[in-house]
Amino acid sequence: MTVPTTPTDASTVTSPGLAKVMYQLSGVRRFFNKNGEVVRALDGVNLTIDEGEFLAVQGPTGEGKSTLMLMLGGLDRPTEGQVSFKGRNLGALREHELAPLRAKEFGFVFQTFNLIPTLTAYENVEAALEPFGLHAAERKRRVTAVLAELGLGDRGRHLPSELSGGQQQRVAIARALVKNPTVLLADEPTGNLDEDTRDEIVGLLEGLWREHGLTLVIVTHDSSIARRAQRISLIRGGRLSAKPQAPA
Amino acid sequence: MAMQTWCISPADLSKAAAKSPPKLGGRANFAGHAGAGEEMGDEMTGFFVTYLRRELGRRMRQGVFVALGLALGVGLVVTVAAASAGVTKAQSGVLSGLYGVGTDITVNGPLWITTHQYCTRSGCEAGPNCTPRGCHGKPELGLQTKIQTPYFDTVSASTVAAVGRLHDVTAATGVLTFVYGLKHAQSGNFTVDGVGTRHSAVGPLSADRVVSGHDFTAADSDAGVALVDSVYAAISNLRVGSVITIGQVRFTVIGIVAGPAGTSPVEVYIPVARAQALGAGLANQVNLIYVATASAADVSAVQGEISRLLPGDTVNTDGSLFSRTWPAPSGVASVVTGSLADTTKLANDLGRWVSVLALLAAFAVACLLTMAAVGRRSAEFGTLKALGWRMRRITVQVLGESLITGILGAAAGVGVGFAGAAIIAAVAPTLSATDATAIGSMQQVAQNGSAAPVASGPVWVPMSPSISAGVIVLAVILAMAGALLAGAFGSWRAARLRPADALRRVE
Repeated sequence: MTVPTTPTDASTVTSPGLAKVMYQLSGVRRFFNKNGEVVRALDGVNLTIDEGEFLAVQGPTGEGKSTLMLMLGGLDRPTEGQVSFKGRNLGALREHELAPLRAKEFGFVFQTFNLIPTLTAYENVEAALEPFGLHAAERKRRVTAVLAELGLGDRGRHLPSELSGGQQQRVAIARALVKNPTVLLADEPTGNLDEDTRDEIVGLLEGLWREHGLTLVIVTHDSSIARRAQRISLIRGGRLSAKPQAPA
Repeated sequence: MAMQTWCISPADLSKAAAKSPPKLGGRANFAGHAGAGEEMGDEMTGFFVTYLRRELGRRMRQGVFVALGLALGVGLVVTVAAASAGVTKAQSGVLSGLYGVGTDITVNGPLWITTHQYCTRSGCEAGPNCTPRGCHGKPELGLQTKIQTPYFDTVSASTVAAVGRLHDVTAATGVLTFVYGLKHAQSGNFTVDGVGTRHSAVGPLSADRVVSGHDFTAADSDAGVALVDSVYAAISNLRVGSVITIGQVRFTVIGIVAGPAGTSPVEVYIPVARAQALGAGLANQVNLIYVATASAADVSAVQGEISRLLPGDTVNTDGSLFSRTWPAPSGVASVVTGSLADTTKLANDLGRWVSVLALLAAFAVACLLTMAAVGRRSAEFGTLKALGWRMRRITVQVLGESLITGILGAAAGVGVGFAGAAIIAAVAPTLSATDATAIGSMQQVAQNGSAAPVASGPVWVPMSPSISAGVIVLAVILAMAGALLAGAFGSWRAARLRPADALRRVE
């Protein structure tokens, strides 16, 4: 069991496994100033995530789930505390140091897909390879393969607007996976999808996690999705608490 | 599922890293991922172009709007520049018509003709002291009674060389000018200039153009050849190949020349050596020196230098009597009147400010629209950052899009400029200028012996705007500058976007 470096409290959630620690969040606070009022998006979060773990962070809208996800992806910095990824403090890294991390280590899946509307499905996936400087032939091989594996082999030339919500989210997942990240961060990945598609996408993510050995973190308000994770952390008022473990 | 097929192997990543040495400290922590932050390799320019093309296509309306804004501003600059060039050209035409071109200063000796006295072979017609310097020892052009004395006292050609060596003098040429014909005759006389046969930017022929035949060549320096003014040729029924006789010497007309509008041209030009051979004692003598200075600002200084070098001679810079040509620019400016000066000032002042304002407006519109577009794309940029794109790479993308817009704006701007110039050419009035101090031809002076200025009529010159290659280059540079400025602002705004903030806007 990995033990956080800060004293355990109600907001401390630790990994139950013995695997190598991927993330360690210690006393993370993230405050915003909104219209003169201080919003405590995260308020003293301690969290440990092991390598290869499937963690669900469940909580209502506006309780800090997305902020936590941005912290894990090196897209935001804590007001206080430390977000450690593989032993490196993400909050202390400069932007030009974070960019390669994001490119290589993190795959993001957003609720609104965040596909670039002017690019085709193929090009959206290809955009994730832009930082690597790969040859066109190699890019093509990888993009084609990942699209085919996600059942989008015949949708490469389609613009996002020509795809269904489920297909768009598949493209977004392909974009996250094409670079073979170590962590897949999914922020309400089914929030904009119908129930059938939701199950399909969650099943897909779960399958990818199992087959790739990814570390998968899903934030969701949907307990049916959260239940599929190895471990569930509840978030409320910017504070985390552990939830009784559901079977993996 | 065989998911590994698309995965990037550590070997692949090492290869990428080898092409782009990693900058990230502690890269060892990310073994196999080195080089991830080194973007924009040659292989990725294809994606750059794809993304660029797609974005421009998606925002075509905005791009066209920005390009048109730039085009309008740049087109106005081109139009004003063209109009200004047209006015300047017209001004040059008028000025050369009134004064000739190229020559800043003329130098001549004391005037002889004012007393109607001239030298003949037998000496000074009116007595031994008929000239300010006396006839004694001076040229006698009395070989033929028809050859009148040159208007001005003569100087040696070496004097011309001395003038040419003065500081700030760029060119100096000597001319032997005289009137051929019966003294006191009211008609039939014509002016003759003995000129150098090498082309020169200064001198009586500098503003003329050959309308028939050909110009003098170096080989004509001692040949019996002549150039004849087109008006005189028409009156005298002369053409190329005709023969005219001056002092019993036959000269074959090899070219018909025309001076600028409004000039009082010399009727006949012959090689100076032949002119000098017409009169005894004229060998190597000239009586009018044309001088060009390096700049208008040098005229006064050069004038002083010449006056010191030739204390007895007249140095003309202001269009005064007998500076048949070609006063200094300072003199020109003071005597040009009429719509020409007004139009020039209007074009140069009003046009310049209108252009500046239009350009500023175009730049401001381009900047605001680009920044607004970047604001609308904040989620997109946030996503790209989440994908690991560096800000530099995003900046290149934004600048690339702006640059393409600038190129389109430049092309359209040049088109607008040409259209504007065409419109001006179609509607612009003919310009006029009047020189209140202009004088008539030397022949008139020679014949009248009058020192009074003879008013010349206004010179009418149509204004035809012209667009030079330099203006087109300027237009392209301005459009590019505007587009890049807009792109820079857009990039600046994009750079200020924090990924989290950008993503939150759509979450």
